[in-house]
This record gives sequence, structure tokens and C-alpha cells, in this order.
Amino acid sequence: MDTSRSYLEPSSFSKKMAAAIIIVYAVITLIPISWMVMTSFKNVDSAISYPPEVLFEPSLEGYVNLFTNRSRQSQEYLDSLPPPENWYEELVRSREMVITGPSKFLGRYSNSMIIGFGSTFASVFLGALAAYAFSRFRVPLKDDLLFFILSTRMFPPIAVAVPIFIMYRKLGLGDTHLGMIILYTVVNLSLAVWLLKGFMDEIPKEYEEAAMIDGYSRLQAFFKVVLPQAMTGIAATAIFCMIFSWNEYAFAVLLTQFNAQTAPPFIPTIIGEGGLDWPAIGAGTTLFLLPVMIFTIILRKHLLRGITFGAVRK
Amino acid sequence: MAKVELKKLFKTYNKKIKALEDINLTIEDGQFFVLLGPSGAGKTTTLRCIAGLEKIDSGDVLFDDENITHDQPASRDVSFVFQQYSLYPHYTVYENLTFPLRSPMRKLPEEEIKNKVEKIAEMLKITNKLKNKATELSGGEMQRVAIGRALVREPNIYLMDEPLSSLDAKLRETLRVELKNIQLNLNATILYVTHDQAEATTLADKIGVLKEGKIVQIGTPEEIYENPNSIYVSQRLGSPKINILPGYLFKLNNITKIGLRPENIELGNGPYEGKVISTENLGSETVVAINFQDNEILASIQGSYKSSINEKINFDINTNKVLKFDKGDQRIYER
Repeated sequence: MDTSRSYLEPSSFSKKMAAAIIIVYAVITLIPISWMVMTSFKNVDSAISYPPEVLFEPSLEGYVNLFTNRSRQSQEYLDSLPPPENWYEELVRSREMVITGPSKFLGRYSNSMIIGFGSTFASVFLGALAAYAFSRFRVPLKDDLLFFILSTRMFPPIAVAVPIFIMYRKLGLGDTHLGMIILYTVVNLSLAVWLLKGFMDEIPKEYEEAAMIDGYSRLQAFFKVVLPQAMTGIAATAIFCMIFSWNEYAFAVLLTQFNAQTAPPFIPTIIGEGGLDWPAIGAGTTLFLLPVMIFTIILRKHLLRGITFGAVRK
Repeated sequence: MAKVELKKLFKTYNKKIKALEDINLTIEDGQFFVLLGPSGAGKTTTLRCIAGLEKIDSGDVLFDDENITHDQPASRDVSFVFQQYSLYPHYTVYENLTFPLRSPMRKLPEEEIKNKVEKIAEMLKITNKLKNKATELSGGEMQRVAIGRALVREPNIYLMDEPLSSLDAKLRETLRVELKNIQLNLNATILYVTHDQAEATTLADKIGVLKEGKIVQIGTPEEIYENPNSIYVSQRLGSPKINILPGYLFKLNNITKIGLRPENIELGNGPYEGKVISTENLGSETVVAINFQDNEILASIQGSYKSSINEKINFDINTNKVLKFDKGDQRIYER
């Protein structure tokens, strides 16, 4: 037996057990995602073959189908065409189809980006300002206001869908980027205010006071001294806000059709001719997953760095 | 540097708790002024009012006869050393020191900023730490940087709120000496808050004693020590503490209380007889506690003093140095 370890430290056996459990759990949770990614690289036939193929010849058909609109043509017509100019045209023609143009996916995807990042930025920025005010100033009816802000989360957002739908139509905000950014910001703001207030409370007010005496206005002190120290909270809040607005489906279906439609309502509409085009759906969801994943990975180091330590004695 | 005046300053917290009451104070240009008092006496509040961090209820703050009562902290041009170091943890030491110089209020050329910071760093012996993050420093180093951040510019006044209290005794002494030297070199105006009497007496040109938000006496350290106007003030300075005794013990029947500094008691001979309770050898002096008619009296004797507990001891007092107080604990002055 290893006697060198301290009594407080878990034994190597329990460490291995813990690792094994985590690995099993990770595998279980990753199966659907890896299946989705695999499907995106299958061709239409192998995607629906039974028994399911785990080993398969990778194909970009799903991605080609995702980004293009195609129409089925007769063999004679295809023969009459000049030879395909690039690999994806060739791929499409092997399925007896021609590309009629780009699909709407790229547009929907960039709508998702604009609305997702836009509302995340707005929620975090406004949330940080509000949280700072609640944390530092004597706001009349502070507790009631904070409760009111929280109470906006107490009913499912979709409960107000109809009034919002009518309001948006009257205001001309329906199917616009701005409208969706405002909507998601409003939903996220309560979370942002509460989360960030907790982090702001942790930052000693001596920092801003020192900065104000050093010749900065309160707002300058806020940006130069408070915000950098609230990075942990800002990162966490941004991730939560981003995930919500990125994944939101119900309002997107209700309020957007063309200009500002996001990816979530669009992806289910990818139905190929004669059955569901699973590789294209796989490709769409895989691409849809990436931005949030990358965003979270980028912000992760701020999450891990921990809250301010050391420089102020408590 | 500037002359700083406080006129009839009143401050309450939450409209109920009186923090400052009628504070009148003049700090001359180049003066090292120490505010002395126990915690809760209003020392820090006074500093914060001068810095503009607290709104005052009424009264005026004047810098060189100019009324700045309603100015923002940034435009008052004061330096503040907080009790807690409050360095900006996301900056390096160098960035911390340049922070006040880079303020939009000043806009100094980069070359000048560099020179100033290097000069201060050398003075405070932190040159080799300039590239470190503020969080990587020891307590003493952090406090040096915090003082450095205040000294790096020449404000109207330096405000220091117990800057040495969080340090260990040895470092505190070193920095205390350094601080006094720096003040003399720069001819700086400093308002310094402490409850440490050694700091007060060694640093101060003038001491203001605060009690429950009021200034009860202002004077040089010698005046405060030799001529306190009340029991409260007499107890602020002196170690071991002044003896406060009923007057009848020494046949001063019409005097309620007297104050007697331990060094004004002579042991060995004298008309008074008590019993030794304890002796404490501090090296250069020995503190002897005597039971005299059920009152404990501390006497301080140069060098060492041998005696055993419960031993009978005779002593005398220096009657010229006896401080007399009335029923309200106020000093009775003799003509």
C-alpha cells in the first residue's frame, strides 16, 4: 500500500474509479453528438442503411446539399450539359440533379451569428452597467427592483409570445435583426444582471475609489478597473446568454420568416426530395454546434482564472 | 502642495449616524498632520470627505483658499493610500504606478511618466519588481507600491489611511522612517490617520485628536503628550498608559481625578507605600505595577529593576507633572 500520501488525498484506486466514471459519462453524452457529426459526413444512402454503418466512406454530400438548392433532371438533359466545373457539381450530378443556386442556410447562419452575438453583447454590457449600479449605488427600492427583474424569468417566455408578436408587427420589428436582438437581450438581461451583480459585489469598492482619486471619472474607472476584474463573471454570463439566444426556437419561428430567420427554425426545413436528407441535417446541426463550442472554449480560460485574489486584504 | 482647510464639516451616515461633527482643521503647506483616535472616531471619514469620496452634509473644504467642496474626486488632485492596499490586480507594478499619471486629467508625455516611475521605484526599493503582477508581491511590497502610486505625482495633499497597519512590526518601523524622510525631501503636505501612538509621535508635526466625530485637541506631539486637555486625550499617547487615579490618594481632596505618567513615579523612597503586583522588563525600561490602596499604578523605571511580587515598595510622585481633571474629565489648569 502506498503510505506516502496524506490522509486527505483520495487513494489512487478511487482516483482511477472517478476517472473511469467520468470517461463513461463523457462517452455516453458524446454518442449522439458524434453520431450527428458522423451522419453529416455520410452519403444519403449510408445514412439510412440498416444496420447502421459505423465505418463508412466519408462524403461531403451532406454539406453540399446543405448549402445548395438542387433540382432533379433527366439523364438526357444532364448529358447535354457541359462537363461539371468543380467537385460539388460533379457530386450533385451523380445523383441526377443540377445545382439551381445556393440555399438559404448561409444567410440563416449569419442571422444566427448577428443576433446571437449582438444580443449577447447587449445583455452583458447593459447587465454589467445595471449590476454595477445595483452593487454600488443607493438605488431606491433596490430589492423590489431586483425582484422585479428576476420575476420576468418566472413565466415561460413563450407565454408572452402573442402580445410580443402583435407589438412587433405594429412597431415594424418583426423579422428584423434588431427586433430579435432586443427580444433576446430582454430575456437574457435579468439573468445577466443577477449573475453580474454577484460578481460586482465581490470586487472591493476601493479599486474604483483609488482610480477616481487617481484622476479618472467613475465611468472610466468602471471600464479600466471594474470590468477587467469582473471578467470571470462576464465570461460566464456571456456563455449563458449566447447559448440561450443561439438555441432559441419558439420566438424565432414566430417572429422571423425571411430577413432575420435564424438557423434553428431553418434546419428542420431541410427535407430532401423523397425523404429526409439526414446528411444535410447532420451537416447543419454540426455547423450549428461549432460557434457556441468555440465561443465557450475561448472564454474558458477566464472562467478558470478565478475571481480576484490577493491584491486587497480583507 | 497646498494648504488644506476644513470648515464646520458635518457628516452623517444614513441620516442618523453622526460621523463628523463640526470639524475645523487647517493643515499648512508641507505639514505632516496626524489624526489620532480609536476606531469609529471619524478619522477615515475625514480623509474620505477631503478626497471627495463622501458627500458632506454641510461645511467647506478649501485647498489654498479655494473652495472645492463640490468637486469630483478626480479633479481635486489628491493622493490616497488606503488601509487595504487596493493595487489594481490585473496590472503589473509598473502599470499600477503609471496609472495615476496616465489619467485623462494629466496627459503627461511617456518619457516623463517613465522617469517619474523609475525615480519612485528606486526610492521605495521596488525597481526589480516593476514587471511583476501586483498579485505576485508580498504584503510589504504591495504597501510600498500603494505608497508609490500616491507619491508618483505631486498632488495638493497626500491622504494616508493607516497605511502601515497591515504590516508586521519590523517593516512598519522601516517604512515609518522612510515615509518621514520622503515627506521631508518632498516637503509634502500629508494628512495621516492612525491609532498607533508611535506612528503619531514620530511622524507628526501636528496631531489632531478625534473623539466620536469631534476634534478635541490639536497640537504638536509634545503638547498633546505634556498638556492634554482631557483624560481622553491624555490616554491617546504614552506607553505604558497614563495612570488615571482619584485625587484623594495623593491628598488632592478637591480634585476628582489626576493623570500621572508612569515615568513620573520614583520608586525606592517616598511617602507612599504599596505592593508590587508584577514587573515587566522591556530591556531599556522596566514597568512595575503597584497596588496602592486598591488602585493599580504603573511605574516605568529606566533599566532593569529587581523586586518580587507582593513586596512592599515605597514611591514618590513628581507633583509638577501631575495632570488634574474635573468631574467632566476635563483638565483643570492652574494659574
